[in-house]
Parts: sequence; C-alpha cells; structure tokens
Amino acid sequence: MSRYLLGRIAQAALVLWGAYSITYLILYLLPGDPLSIMLSASGMEIDALSPEQLAKARAFYGLDQGLLERYVNLLLGVLQGDLGQSLTLNRPVTEILAERLPQTLALAGLAIVLSLIGGVGLAYLAAYVRWQPLKVFLARLPALGFSVPVFWMGLLLIQVFAFGLGWFPATGSVGFESLVLPAVTLAIPSAAVYAQVLQRGFIDVWREPYITTAFAKGLSRAQVQARHGLRNAALPLLTLIGLQVGNTVSGAVLVETIFARNGVGRLVQEAVLRQDIPLVLAVVTVSAAAFVLVNLLVDLLYPILDPRITHAPKVT
Amino acid sequence: MRLQRTLASAAILLALGLTLPGCSPSQPDAQAASTLKIAFFSDNTQLVSIDPFQVYWIEHRVVLRNVVEALTDQDPQTGQIIPWLAERWEISPDAREYTFHLRKDVTFSNGEAFDAQAVKTAFDSNKAFAAELPSTFGATYLAGYDHAEILDPHTIKLVLSKPNAGFLQATSTTNLSILAPESYRKSAKERSLGAVIGSGPFKIEHYTPESGLKLVRREGYRWASANVQNKGDAHLSTIEVSYVPEESVRNGLFLQGKVDILWPRVPFSEVDLQLLQRNDATIQSRSLPGPAWNLYPNTRNERILADQQVRLAVQKAIDRKSYASTVYNEAFPVVDGVYDVTTPYFRSQGTKLAYDPQGAAKLLDDAGWTLGADNYRYKDGKRLSLVYNLAGKETPGDVLIQDQLRKLGIELKLKVQTTAEWAAANAAGNYDLTFTYMTRADPIILQTVLDPRSANSSTLATNTYAPAVLPLAQNLFDAGLTATTPEQRAQAYGQLQDLLIDQGSAIPVYERVWQAATSKRVQNFRWSAEGFAFLNDIEVKP
Repeated sequence: MSRYLLGRIAQAALVLWGAYSITYLILYLLPGDPLSIMLSASGMEIDALSPEQLAKARAFYGLDQGLLERYVNLLLGVLQGDLGQSLTLNRPVTEILAERLPQTLALAGLAIVLSLIGGVGLAYLAAYVRWQPLKVFLARLPALGFSVPVFWMGLLLIQVFAFGLGWFPATGSVGFESLVLPAVTLAIPSAAVYAQVLQRGFIDVWREPYITTAFAKGLSRAQVQARHGLRNAALPLLTLIGLQVGNTVSGAVLVETIFARNGVGRLVQEAVLRQDIPLVLAVVTVSAAAFVLVNLLVDLLYPILDPRITHAPKVT
Repeated sequence: MRLQRTLASAAILLALGLTLPGCSPSQPDAQAASTLKIAFFSDNTQLVSIDPFQVYWIEHRVVLRNVVEALTDQDPQTGQIIPWLAERWEISPDAREYTFHLRKDVTFSNGEAFDAQAVKTAFDSNKAFAAELPSTFGATYLAGYDHAEILDPHTIKLVLSKPNAGFLQATSTTNLSILAPESYRKSAKERSLGAVIGSGPFKIEHYTPESGLKLVRREGYRWASANVQNKGDAHLSTIEVSYVPEESVRNGLFLQGKVDILWPRVPFSEVDLQLLQRNDATIQSRSLPGPAWNLYPNTRNERILADQQVRLAVQKAIDRKSYASTVYNEAFPVVDGVYDVTTPYFRSQGTKLAYDPQGAAKLLDDAGWTLGADNYRYKDGKRLSLVYNLAGKETPGDVLIQDQLRKLGIELKLKVQTTAEWAAANAAGNYDLTFTYMTRADPIILQTVLDPRSANSSTLATNTYAPAVLPLAQNLFDAGLTATTPEQRAQAYGQLQDLLIDQGSAIPVYERVWQAATSKRVQNFRWSAEGFAFLNDIEVKP
C-alpha cells in the first residue's frame, strides 16, 4: 500500500511539473516580446524607455537569463512556495491567491455538493419510477442539462430567481445568498453527467444476480435499490467528482464574470487578458495541484468504499 | 445505511438552508431611503488604484471628485476656473508663480486641518512619486512644478521651473487634489487600495478591487464650490458602488430597481435606450472633455498611410453622421473636431469632416490606387489594405467603419488583440490605424496622447505625423504650454487642431459621450466639468 502511495505521489508530482512546464512554454515562448508585454502590463511602454532602462527592466524580470536558466530559477522559486510578483497588481501572487481562492473554493464546493444531490437524486428517481412516460422524461433530462450553455443558464437563472422572484441577489460575493445562483449554474452540467452515469449504472446493476437474490429475500423495491443498487452503481461517480474539480476553474471563469464575483476564475481571465504571466502561471499551478490532489484522494478512497478493489500487489 | 440517513438529513438541512435566506423579504430600511447605488461597468484591472494622483480611470474619478477636493474648481458651462479650497489666487506675469489664498475653515475627515503645510505636503509628495514613476498619469498635470513656499499658514506660493499653461486647470482636478497629510505618510500602495483621506462631502469606507466601494457621508461639511448647489452636508448617507462587467445583468439590476444609477463606459445603444426610457429612467449625457474618439495613422516605415492623400481619403470616407445615428441613436451628437465640444479651446472642423465619397475616390485615383476587379484598390499589384488594431473586442462601430471604407475600395483589417498586445503593437509601430484617448478638461491633455516627448506611447505619437510635420506640431504644443494669455492658448491649440485634421494625423470617428441612466427616485444629477457627478447634490426619494 505504501509503495503504491509513493508511486502515486511521484506520479502526481510529475503531472504538476508537466502542467507548469507546458504553461511556462506557452506563456513565455508563443507571444511576441515578453519584455514589452510585461512592461506594458505594469503601465509602461517599451518605446518610452532608454536602452539602459531597458537593460535594467530586462534584469528585473529575469529576462536577461537564458530560457532554461530562467525556467529553472522560476521552478526553484515555486518549490520554495514563492510564486513571484504579479505585474499589474504589484503584489505577491500568493497574497492575491489567498484573497481570491476562498471565494472560488466556496463556489466550487457548493457546486459539487449541489451537483451530487441533483445528479444522484435524478438518477435515483429515474430508476425508481415505473411509469414509463415519466421514466423516459427523467432519463432524457441529463442530456438537456449538459447541452445548455453555462452562460445562458446563468443569465436565465438571474432573470427568473433574481429579477423575477427576487429570491437571491443577482451579483456580488457577500453572504451565502449570493453563492446560490452561481453554484447552481456551475452544478447543472456536472449534475447532468452524474445522473447520466448513475442511470447507466442502475440499468447494469438491476441485471446482477445479487439483485435477484435481494428480491428473493423479500426486500421491497425501495430497500433493494437503496441497499444493493445505489452502492454498486455509484462507484464510477467518484472518478467523475475528481474530474469535475478541473472543470470548476474553467467554469468559474464564466460564472464569476456573469455574477460579478471576486474569485480565481475572473482573476485568471483578467490575468490572461493583461498578460500577467506570473499570475497565470500561479493559477494554473494551483488548480493543477488541486486536480492532482483530489484525484489521488479518489483513488485512495476506492478500496475503502469497495473492498473488491485493492491497490496491494497481487500475490501469485 | 446509517451513512445514507445522515446524508439524506444533511441534504434536507442544506435544502432548507438554501431556501430560508431567500424567503426573508428585503425589509424596508430607513437607511435605504438615503442610500444611492451606482453600477459601473468594470474596475480598472490594468492599474489597481484609487490613489487620485495615479488614477486615469474615469469611474474612479467620479468617486474621487466627491471624496477629495482641489484648490480650484472648473465651471462645467464655461470651463472657467473658480475658487474651491483656495478663495482666490494670483499668477505672476511669467506664469511661473501661483499664489493661492486658502480657506481657513476646512478640515480633513480625519480631523487634520487643511492649511498651507498640507498643500505643500501634497504637492511635494506627488512630485516625489512622479520622479519615481514618470509614466504615472498625474505627472503631466504636475509638469514643471518645482517647489512650494509657505507665505503664511493659509497662503502658499507654488513655483514652476518651466511654464505650464495647464497648471491652473490642473489644480482643479481630482489628480492634484489635496489629501490629508496622514494619507501621504502611508505608502502609494496603501493609498491605491483605499487609504485616501480627503476633505470632501463623502469618506471612503472601503474599496474592494473589481467588486465595489462604499462611501459614507461626512458630517460638518460646508465648503462646497460654487458648482455645487448644496452647501452643507450631503443629502445621501451612503453610496454603494459596484462593478458589474456583464451588460445584461447590469441593465437588469437597474430595471429591477436594485441600482439607482446605471453608468456604463460606452453610450447606450438605441435598443437599451428605448427600454430604459420605457421604464421611466432619465438619460444623463455629457461629452467627455479631451480628444474625441479618433483614429491615429502610422505614417512611418513606408506604410500606405505615409501618403497624405490616402489619409485624407480615409478622413473623407468615414460617414460620421450615419456612425452616430446607427451605432448610437438619432439624437447622438456628430463628432466635429479633434476634441470633444466640452474641451476648452475646441475648434470646429466643419466641412473638413464631411462625408465625401467622391472626393475620397478622386484622392485615391490621383494617388495611383485604382479599383481592381474585386472592388478593392491596387497600386503596383499591392492591395490598399490597412491593419486596424483593436484592444479586447471589435464593436459594431468598428465593423461599420470597415464597411464604409470598403465602399471606396479600402480593405480594413480588424485585428483584435488583448489590451497588453495592443499596447505592445502600438509601441512597436505594428499597425496602420490605432486609437487611444484620455479625459481632461484642458486641451493640454493632447500632449499625453500626441506629443512624443510626453505621450504614453511615444511611438504612436511620433508615427501619427509625417516626419516633416512633427516639428510643426511640437512647436504648437510648446506654444500652447508656454502661453500666458487665453488668446495665445486659443491660437496655438486652434492651429494644432487644424494641423491634425489637414494632415490626416487624427481621424475623428465619434464624440465620446458619457451616459448614465438615473432612476425616477434620483433627483438633481449634475455633471462636473470633466464629466463626473456632484454626488452631494443628489437626493433620492423613497
């Protein structure tokens, strides 16, 4: 088990390093002159500076070093927990992230909880209902939920629940009420995926011999579905939750803009637009770390939830 | 099994928690009666700061106009400089020494007294900051300032080392407002994030970048300038400002009555305008002083627009009247010069800006650009194709210009870039046409845009003139800067405006009108000279 764990942690580190390196390459190599972009991001134009000032600026941003040297230095900084200075906000990146991350974590956390409740609830209901028209309707619902664009759903929810009914505020990041509509918006596509997968799971599980056994023991349909059906059908959801963490940052970009919230999603969008390279690099690193961590946790949870799965080496 | 029950009850509790806050209706609050809510389009993400000296973002300047105060004020109708914190002033004949006699009854909101020492601290701190960061916006306002002499506790002489004819107007702006000495003891970074203490009718309670800010009334205020009708405490107790980037959400908040003033950066479209007016909104409009929304050509490096005839053809090919009426609405003013009409010393360019497709076609024919089979013009096998750099996104107006130029056989390539890329491309001279603007109620603002010696982008400023014309323009800038009488300034800036249009160095497109929609409960919304609002005059009816 510990060998497996070590292997997985090494793998996670490798993924993180890969994400960092690829982002570095894209940000520093693809666009024109990084110096002029960085200068203009910090409010100066390259043409307004003398050659000496330019040399100073180049040294300040570490652009006088070779490509590899700069990369190694940046990486060493990250390993020591130093994500650098934001160019436009003029503050340490770690400080900005510490300010913005809680907002996005709350949003993502609630969205994951809501999507689980919604997705599992829908699939559970669809499996339980026996009246065919309703069953078909419930089974088709996830396809709709997944194909509706997030921004449109966000605007629709604002229109109905904020402007029409006045239950929740349309914008802002103060208080729990302001969290509800954005979290629901973010939860709908994931809930749809969960529901779809769980429905398939139920269909497969119903055919298993142990279900027949359970019915033979005299359990009611509800009891069979809850005790034997759900537990077995729900396992693949765990993997999906791990994947959804990755979607949350990209989803947050849209949702936080629509609902005028102050989170990491909007931060990264703004940072990309003003080409604040250290900030973008940091957000990508942090979200990659979260993604890797959650997926590691999911893999470690599997054997606990289902004893049939084991990470120990097989004894031959 | 137990786990499932716990989960189920947790889910129910959660669902209750979700609905409960939604059920409580918003209780009518006495406070709400005197709270004004403003929604702007966005915070400045390029430079996060509400430090008056650094701020160019006009949304912030609206707020600051009501928090910090300046030595003088500017009459919105005449552009005249009038007393504010200074009761009167004398200017030496060489316009190098400005002696201000200060009001004696003014205090800052932290209790510190406003006196000559406070003024000196403000000007010296600003000078030190500008030396550290010469590109900061306030630096051009302060240009030439050398030192201050305290003549007595309420008389101060500001001495310039070189002439700056815009200096008196500069003393009326938020950029050179006088903060409490306590603010200058803090770092520029702290000021940027809200440590701004002034003597105005409101105090900043907090500022959260990209989210919003809150102002609260200051008690005991009684030194408003003649521009403001309310001479005492503000009518409003609180002002809440929020930044809502999504247009439909912002408009919805206003139509729902959750916001009292809807204040986006770009003017309302015809559709929005009708919707707002159907909902009893009042549309407040004012042309922002400073350059109009102009295109600036790149005349260097053997680019197509090096040819003055082609530049003038572009000038004639743009139908400004239909731009104003189709992109905005029938009542929208048609741009009439290099500057917006609210800028002092504005000179109308009249027929020179008229739509004249025949004239444009003739100019292009004469310059050797002949129509090809595909309806684009060619010369020596090269298509008449211009690259127009855009920051962030293309607007319906950009597409309209593209279409208007196509009618004359000119291909306009809209190159959408991020703001950072756009600025870098300007600096590298990588464009045929680009745009930029700044807001200030003095013609001197053009030096920040078009004088290579002091412009944000010296490349853009240089490229806009043909090499032989640049010295002429710089002479006129100098003449305007060193003028000591209004007549001299009028002459210099009048000639400069003519030169820019005659050379095709500035191609005006539309008047930069700033519009705000105010709800029925908002009364007495009035504009300042620079296009900000006197929030202490506003009253809200419950």
